[in-house]
Amino acid sequence: MSSKTAKPVMHSAAWRISLWATLAFACGTMLVFVFLHRFVADDIQRRSDAWLSGEVEVLGDVAERTPKDALYGRVVGEVAELAGKEVPNKALSDSSENDSVFFLQTGKDGSLQLWVGAGNGEANLTAIQASRMLPDQPMDLHVSGFPTPFRVASIRMDDGSRIYLGLSERDELRVLRSLRLRFFLLWLLIVLLGFGIVFFTTRRMLSHVRRITEAAAGIGHSDLNSRVPTTQRNDEVAHLALTLNRMLDRIESSVHQLHTITDSLAHDLRSPLTAIRGKLEMSLSAATHGEQAEPIVSAIEELDRLTDFLNKSLDVAEAKADALRLSRSEVDLDELLRIMIDLYEPSMSEKGLQIRLQSGGPLRIEADAALIHRMIANLFDNELKHLPSACTVTIRLRVEDGAASLILEDDGPGFDAEVCLHLFERRVKGKESNGHGLGLAFVDAVARAHGGAVRAGNCESGGAQIAVTLPVVSQGHAGSPAAVMHGAH
Amino acid sequence: MRLLLVEDEIEIQSFLRSSLAEAGYQVEAAGDGKTAERLAIDGQFDILIVDLGLPDQDGITLILRLRQLGVRAPVLILSARRSVDDRVRGLEQGGDDYLTKPFALAELLARLRNLLKRNSPPGNEATRLRVLDLELDLLRREATRSGQVLQLTPQEFVLLEYLCRNAGRVVTRSMILDQVWGMRIQPDTNVVDVHIYRLRGKVDGKGQQPLIRTLRGVGYVLKDR
Repeated sequence: MSSKTAKPVMHSAAWRISLWATLAFACGTMLVFVFLHRFVADDIQRRSDAWLSGEVEVLGDVAERTPKDALYGRVVGEVAELAGKEVPNKALSDSSENDSVFFLQTGKDGSLQLWVGAGNGEANLTAIQASRMLPDQPMDLHVSGFPTPFRVASIRMDDGSRIYLGLSERDELRVLRSLRLRFFLLWLLIVLLGFGIVFFTTRRMLSHVRRITEAAAGIGHSDLNSRVPTTQRNDEVAHLALTLNRMLDRIESSVHQLHTITDSLAHDLRSPLTAIRGKLEMSLSAATHGEQAEPIVSAIEELDRLTDFLNKSLDVAEAKADALRLSRSEVDLDELLRIMIDLYEPSMSEKGLQIRLQSGGPLRIEADAALIHRMIANLFDNELKHLPSACTVTIRLRVEDGAASLILEDDGPGFDAEVCLHLFERRVKGKESNGHGLGLAFVDAVARAHGGAVRAGNCESGGAQIAVTLPVVSQGHAGSPAAVMHGAH
Repeated sequence: MRLLLVEDEIEIQSFLRSSLAEAGYQVEAAGDGKTAERLAIDGQFDILIVDLGLPDQDGITLILRLRQLGVRAPVLILSARRSVDDRVRGLEQGGDDYLTKPFALAELLARLRNLLKRNSPPGNEATRLRVLDLELDLLRREATRSGQVLQLTPQEFVLLEYLCRNAGRVVTRSMILDQVWGMRIQPDTNVVDVHIYRLRGKVDGKGQQPLIRTLRGVGYVLKDR
């Protein structure tokens, strides 16, 4: 079985279902995470903004109260440095220099008065001057030389100077990055696990369906006794199997009923036909004059036609219901065609017709010999009756995809356009035809009963073409899916 | 020849009885399985005709029962069923034969003759067949009429041989198809007639007495007198 399922796993329904389910699941969780991420990022920013606003106020307070003497810069600088050590979300940094916080005081004229932080603060000042800072409203500031932007809060002093407190967003971004990484790994794990679970459950489920399909396909035209496998569980698949089996029960009983009806119909018609024919034959042997014999002879001929019609009708009816009973044996189509041609050739040449066989040698199929004989006789009768003289019938026999392909082609006028569409229906015949319109319907019926098919139409040159395909080996024997399956278990 | 006819349809029974009697058989008839069983054990029959659809039991069951009771005579099975039952096929292989209704009398008689011949000890198979001035050499596959060699195809020779073996008796088209071409088909065209017509053209030359006669509605006969 592995060899059977290995290749088409990408094309299996289980694969598609799990792919789509996983995709939907992955998109859903990703969307949830995006919202969550935003919420967390906003919250972190809100908290650092609150800290910044608080600190800058404290620093402003300190700066206000500290006398503007020589010690001012030191006092305020130390307070600012202390504040920098209480930074939220701070990671343990190796560098001694605190580059995550800066404190900057500008004078009335906007010149740098006091600076606490990494570097000399010129870059920060330039960036601040370049941007339009709103008072009491922390905002982002990109400083050249720093990969991550700063969040900066400012306060205006009474003396016209300004105090800026900046907090690097590095730590905030680091927290978010680690959150994203963890989520991504977890997400990948869940998605893969989900895919695996969905795939294996659906595959398991669908393998039951496949087994049912294979078993149902194995139940051929003639074998109606088999049933699809059922499971102990009480799920949809088990219901499917049960429903199929119930349907098969009904079909089997209908077919049985059909057999009973056709048998009794055949019997009820045949007995009087036999009696009538016998009596006619007896009176024929008693009739001495030609005039007396003539009506009897034509009555017998009519009776034989009626019998033939009865046989074909019942066969076609049964075959349409897939209920034709076959008793199979080996039939060599090549040999059969040669005998048939031998039989029909004189009648054909009498009518000015030629017949040719193109065959690749013996071709044995498992089939009901009597039905195949009658089917081929029907095809030949058809050509003989409908072809105008000086035409050629070409018969080609070969093996195509494990099936015998028998093609009859002629260079006659072809089928009428109106008849062409309904060739295989009962009672359809050309205007000039004097048959009972069962010929091709019977051919179709026999081919179908053997698991084959018939195509009919006009070939490009205009003549009629009838192509019959018949499986070389009957269904339900070697090579059926069911047989392969049982072999693998 | 003593013949037991087991057939429940009165109409068929009556015409078969008289035609068989006319053909030279001593006929006893039974309308159901019970009577048939009683008659078959008491009387020594050479051949039996059994219809499959009997009112009290299945024809095949009856045949198997008769075989158990020691009835050895060959059986011709008459069947109104269209398709040949596998069980009938089994009996056919056991030396019996079957015929589907409706049938031509000529065919029934031919099958009876075949069954009787099969059952009789094999005599020396003739290598030459002779009907009036027509002579067939079965070994050299050569036919002569009044000493003149006829130019026949192999198939025409087989057909003529079949007619000669049944000289004086009617053969139907379906019998010819069955025996010469090995097919039980009913073509609705005149394929057999054309073969006979061609054969006749070669066998019955100008000024000669025509041997192959057509009996319309019945079949053909090769005259032996």
